[in-house]
Amino acid sequence: MDYIYTMIILIGLFVILAASFDLVIGHCGLISIAHPIFYAIGAYVSAMLAKEAGWPVPFAMLAGGLAALVSSILVALPSLRVSGDYLLIASIGFQLGLIELAKHIHSIGGAGGLTNIPSFLVAEHGRLAYVLLVVAVAVLTVLFVRWLAHGPYGRMMAALRDDELAFSMLGRNAIWLKVSVFAIGSGIAGLAGGLYAHYFRFLEPDQFGLLQSSAILTMVVVGGMRTTWGPVIGAIVLQILPQAITFLGLPPSVLGPLQGLLFSGLVLVFMFARPQGLIAASDIWSGRDAGGRPR
Amino acid sequence: MFNVTVISQIMWTSLATSSYFVLFALSFALVLKVNKVFNFAQAGMMTAGFYAAYVAVRHLGLPGPAGLVAAVLAGMLAAFVLERFGFRVLRERRASAMFVFIFTLVASQFITYAMTLVFGTWPTTIFESMFWPVKIIGDVAVSAWDVPAIAATLAVLAALWAFLRFTRYGQFMIAVADNSALAELYGIRKDRVLMLTMLIAGAIGGIGMFLYGTRAQVQPAAATELMLFAVAATILGGIGNIWGAALAAVVLGMVQNASILFIPSAWQGFLLFAFLFFAIVLFPSGFHFPESRRALKKMRAAPAANSGKAG
Repeated sequence: MDYIYTMIILIGLFVILAASFDLVIGHCGLISIAHPIFYAIGAYVSAMLAKEAGWPVPFAMLAGGLAALVSSILVALPSLRVSGDYLLIASIGFQLGLIELAKHIHSIGGAGGLTNIPSFLVAEHGRLAYVLLVVAVAVLTVLFVRWLAHGPYGRMMAALRDDELAFSMLGRNAIWLKVSVFAIGSGIAGLAGGLYAHYFRFLEPDQFGLLQSSAILTMVVVGGMRTTWGPVIGAIVLQILPQAITFLGLPPSVLGPLQGLLFSGLVLVFMFARPQGLIAASDIWSGRDAGGRPR
Repeated sequence: MFNVTVISQIMWTSLATSSYFVLFALSFALVLKVNKVFNFAQAGMMTAGFYAAYVAVRHLGLPGPAGLVAAVLAGMLAAFVLERFGFRVLRERRASAMFVFIFTLVASQFITYAMTLVFGTWPTTIFESMFWPVKIIGDVAVSAWDVPAIAATLAVLAALWAFLRFTRYGQFMIAVADNSALAELYGIRKDRVLMLTMLIAGAIGGIGMFLYGTRAQVQPAAATELMLFAVAATILGGIGNIWGAALAAVVLGMVQNASILFIPSAWQGFLLFAFLFFAIVLFPSGFHFPESRRALKKMRAAPAANSGKAG
């Protein structure tokens, strides 16, 4: 039963990550694959505050989310002022650089990982309580992203995505919108990091690398970008699929790359065979707007 | 510690090791200039090149030059597949810049994971030993690797320059880089030019990986970091200026190597990311010498290169 609870928690966490990532890459059209680093910042900050400073876990988790939000602004602001392309490069540099940094800082566990993170809820109320917490946050995230995407904010994002120049000519501040969406998405990822840290109680820098990036990207692309349920379906399918491989009893040296191959291979197949994903939003990928005019 | 011998030794070694950085930067900057793509799949092309040389030399027992040929061919093959079945299809579909971008990233990871599955994560080298005999010239130790590596890099630079300057297809490449629609109107077959650019980039990446793999240990994920170095150099050199990228690669390579004097070696790897950030934040359109006519020309060219792939 514990296994199933853990699976549900992992699926819930990936739903949060995929939905918030879809907000950034799908709805706002910002190219970044560094989502896991904000997940990591949330996890580490929350874990350290609870472990070393003795903060109550819920506050530590919120602080973790806030730390992710602030650091995402620090990454996005300088790079977005230049061009959208630079965000990707700056954020990958930030992601890999921070992982490299974390491996050398012994007070947060270094490359060996951070252990003995205080647990939350499980000891007093059992695992089911934690499952419910994660599922609740996941549902709220999905609803929040849906609310954002369908409201005035969503219309602004659509306008920005379709024609940034026209958007700016209308007196809107494109950079402000991009940075704020990036920060919201990253902040949610940070919150998910806190939820991860206090359940699994172990963090190591390498788990937030490019494999994690491609996993989340795959969930969004395979599920269907800019849809409410796409990232949810993507997260569920892609969390269960690798588990099936785990049961084959392969050694970890084969399992890791095999999962990576599966993730990246699936994205490639979907990009060329079914670019809209399992659940289709109206022509997202084609580079044409509704009138068939090239973007 | 800071005497002339030590400093000249570090300068020489840094110059020699920057040879492959120059090649990676050339490859990246060329594709960005002509094809208007931030080709993150270059890491995949480089990985393919390295493992082809590794198989040729270590498993098939072929001599070193055959390994170099294998690296070049594998780099070109990877480039061909990416261009023919990836980029061209996406162009025909008028895929958005974001889509192309994600494609390059994912394709690169796909190749990396495939290589990890086949060759494992253990670092390997092309030759049994990566230690080269050393001669003392003046006060400086020059290894048998240094001179051929620098010569190979200079040869590639000269060949590329001559190709772009004097051959028909080289001129076509510059025309497509400047204005691909206009070039097509003049009867230049754009698809061919873009394919040729990718093939050249694949070959240069293969040579670079051969040089790197004969001197350092490589594991499948290593190419990603090497490529990020090329990205930093390309941005610092000024987007659209391949020679600037090559020069920036030399400077960055030398700074990273010389940093051993000032910071612990464990932190050297971290410098790359500092460069990347520094390049984007401080020199987003390249480093320019103010008031020179060339720099002004470049400044005008940079926004033109940017506008093609905004998104």
